[in-house]
Amino acid sequence: MSSAPNSSPLARAFPLRIAAWYAGLFVVSAMAVVVLTYALLARALQDNDHDVLEAMLNRYVNEYAAAGLPGLRRLITTDAGEGRHEQVLVRVRNNADENVYFAEPQSWDAVDLAALDALGDETAWTTLAYPQGDTRLEVGTAALPGGVVVQVGRTSHVRDALLLQFRDRAAQVLLLIIVIAIVGGAVLTHFAMAPLRALDATLASILHTGRFDARVPTRASSDPLDRLGGLVNDMLARIQVLIGGMHGALDNVAHDLRTPLTRLRTVAEASLLSDDPVAMREGLARTLEEADRVNATLRALMDISEAETGAMALTKVPVELSPVVQEALDLYLDEADDKGVTLTASVPDGTQIIGDRTRLRQVFANLIENAVKYTDRGGAVSVAVTRDDDRVTVNVSDTGVGIAESDVAFIWDRLYRADASRSSRGLGLGLSLVKAIVEAHGGLVRVRSALGQGSEFSVVLPTRAASAAAAGG
Amino acid sequence: MRLGDGGALTAMPAPVDDRGVRVLVVEDDQSIAGFVANGLRQEGFAVDVASDGVDGLELARAHSYEAAIVDVMLPRLDGLSLVGALRRAGVATPVLFLSARHTVDDRVKGLQTGGDDYLTKPFAFAELVARVQALTRRGHFTQEPSELALADLTLDRLTRKVARRGTSIELRPREYALLEFLMRNAGKVVSKAMIVSHVWDYSFDTGTNAVDVLVHRLREKIDKGFEPKLLHTMRGVGYVLRPEQ
Repeated sequence: MSSAPNSSPLARAFPLRIAAWYAGLFVVSAMAVVVLTYALLARALQDNDHDVLEAMLNRYVNEYAAAGLPGLRRLITTDAGEGRHEQVLVRVRNNADENVYFAEPQSWDAVDLAALDALGDETAWTTLAYPQGDTRLEVGTAALPGGVVVQVGRTSHVRDALLLQFRDRAAQVLLLIIVIAIVGGAVLTHFAMAPLRALDATLASILHTGRFDARVPTRASSDPLDRLGGLVNDMLARIQVLIGGMHGALDNVAHDLRTPLTRLRTVAEASLLSDDPVAMREGLARTLEEADRVNATLRALMDISEAETGAMALTKVPVELSPVVQEALDLYLDEADDKGVTLTASVPDGTQIIGDRTRLRQVFANLIENAVKYTDRGGAVSVAVTRDDDRVTVNVSDTGVGIAESDVAFIWDRLYRADASRSSRGLGLGLSLVKAIVEAHGGLVRVRSALGQGSEFSVVLPTRAASAAAAGG
Repeated sequence: MRLGDGGALTAMPAPVDDRGVRVLVVEDDQSIAGFVANGLRQEGFAVDVASDGVDGLELARAHSYEAAIVDVMLPRLDGLSLVGALRRAGVATPVLFLSARHTVDDRVKGLQTGGDDYLTKPFAFAELVARVQALTRRGHFTQEPSELALADLTLDRLTRKVARRGTSIELRPREYALLEFLMRNAGKVVSKAMIVSHVWDYSFDTGTNAVDVLVHRLREKIDKGFEPKLLHTMRGVGYVLRPEQ
């Protein structure tokens, strides 16, 4: 993308934003986990300290109840001897407010006794500020019978040290997480954006070179970006078909119009050079006829190209096929009659399809016209409409001249006319138009023929339900 | 191509004088404009010509024309905008659009008010005249005679009986429709396209010679064994029903 001069700030900003969001979310959630862990840990440590203190206080209260002040003293001294007071402050006060016992760990700063006195004689748990830093001192006070008060206390500095250590480690881990988030975000975005970069590069190359054969590389997956690439490819293919169709149409128009235009010019020139008024009139009449033929050829060519490239404006509505076939047949009844050709039809009801009525009539008219044209006196042309589950078939069969096997493959080509019919007049575009229109309706055309034995042209069109299903799927 | 309503053609009274009917032609191609203007003048119309949209709009607003023939593609102001401006100015002159496009422009359809019509290039002059006459005669409906006659050929529109020199002639429905159409336009050239849009209920465009075949059959019935010949082919233009050559 960096090589593309047209990559806008947005194109650069988008992956950046994606990466930033990714990294941000990653870091925030990691931090939330760390903070939560820290809070739980701090709480657990605090509870643990409190439990130890409470157990000790209870023991002293029970001992006092059992053995009075001397017993309590004994127990405290024993405890101190056994090292139970290494992290604990113990104080016993009698009813005269004198300290009967007071001990605090040597590592402590002196605890303000006035603060302890201020706690009063009520049985309670209190947290005091320890003189040093943020450390807290938790004190449990128990009022015993006879005005005696026992106080035990413990500072938070052991667990504070532990938590400090945890915080240091957590900070290191978070730093690592931030690095992972940024690198991961960048890498992830890079890979996620790869299809977009490929799309960008492909479209840029098409715009640059004007060649539509470049395609976006895609993998066969249901990934939305791959799907997008696939859609763009489909669109490019369609554009290519349309452009190819237009080029082809232009070539064909140029080619197919030159012959009648030459004829027109020749006729006009010849009549201009003639001195005979009758010949000039004749020439003018032929000029008009040729002009009409040029126009008809042009129109047929445009129709074929439009139908083939999908640009034909088809008014697709539900159409009952039988009347349409009947109308087309109607056009040729007189002609067949004049020629001594029997023209019959079998058109059942219930042959509804989705299609353009006028274009479909044109299809059947062209086929019937051909059949009548190439059938000699005494012959027969029959039209049969049959219906299967999902398609309607229209067969136009004749007992006419037939088509040589070598020609069958080419009869749908533009301006192709089999040898046998070269003398007949016509545009030679009729069958191409039939094929193009039928295929634009999602149908297909077939022909079976034997030279001298007649031909059968078939048009197979999907029924209403079938074409609706195709459109839906 | 049956946008021009066949109904207007059907309602066409037999011979009506077009003299003095003012028509405006807006067409930038000098050759086509000249051809159309001269042809219409020969038919008795009074014709003004404008060669671009702005001039055309000015003329159309300044004078009351009974019809305007407007090319869709015009310099300075295209035909659709011209007619749009005209309609906004409250001028309801019926318009016959000329277009080189083979499919009918949706915008033309949208603009069409009542009798407006559409003709694709190239067109047969006979058809243009018929369309213009249809446009200028809207509202001038006159009772048509129930019996049409030309030389010794008679057609009774009530009984649908056709006779020549007193001899009854049997015609099939399409042959009858064609003859009636030709007799109502006696002396005028009608194009194949006009016949198609009148005789068949649907349009077709297949290069079929159905019209030739029909005309041939009709000629066999009304002209064979009779003099003078009435049904004449104008090669490259169409057909005409008249007593002489």
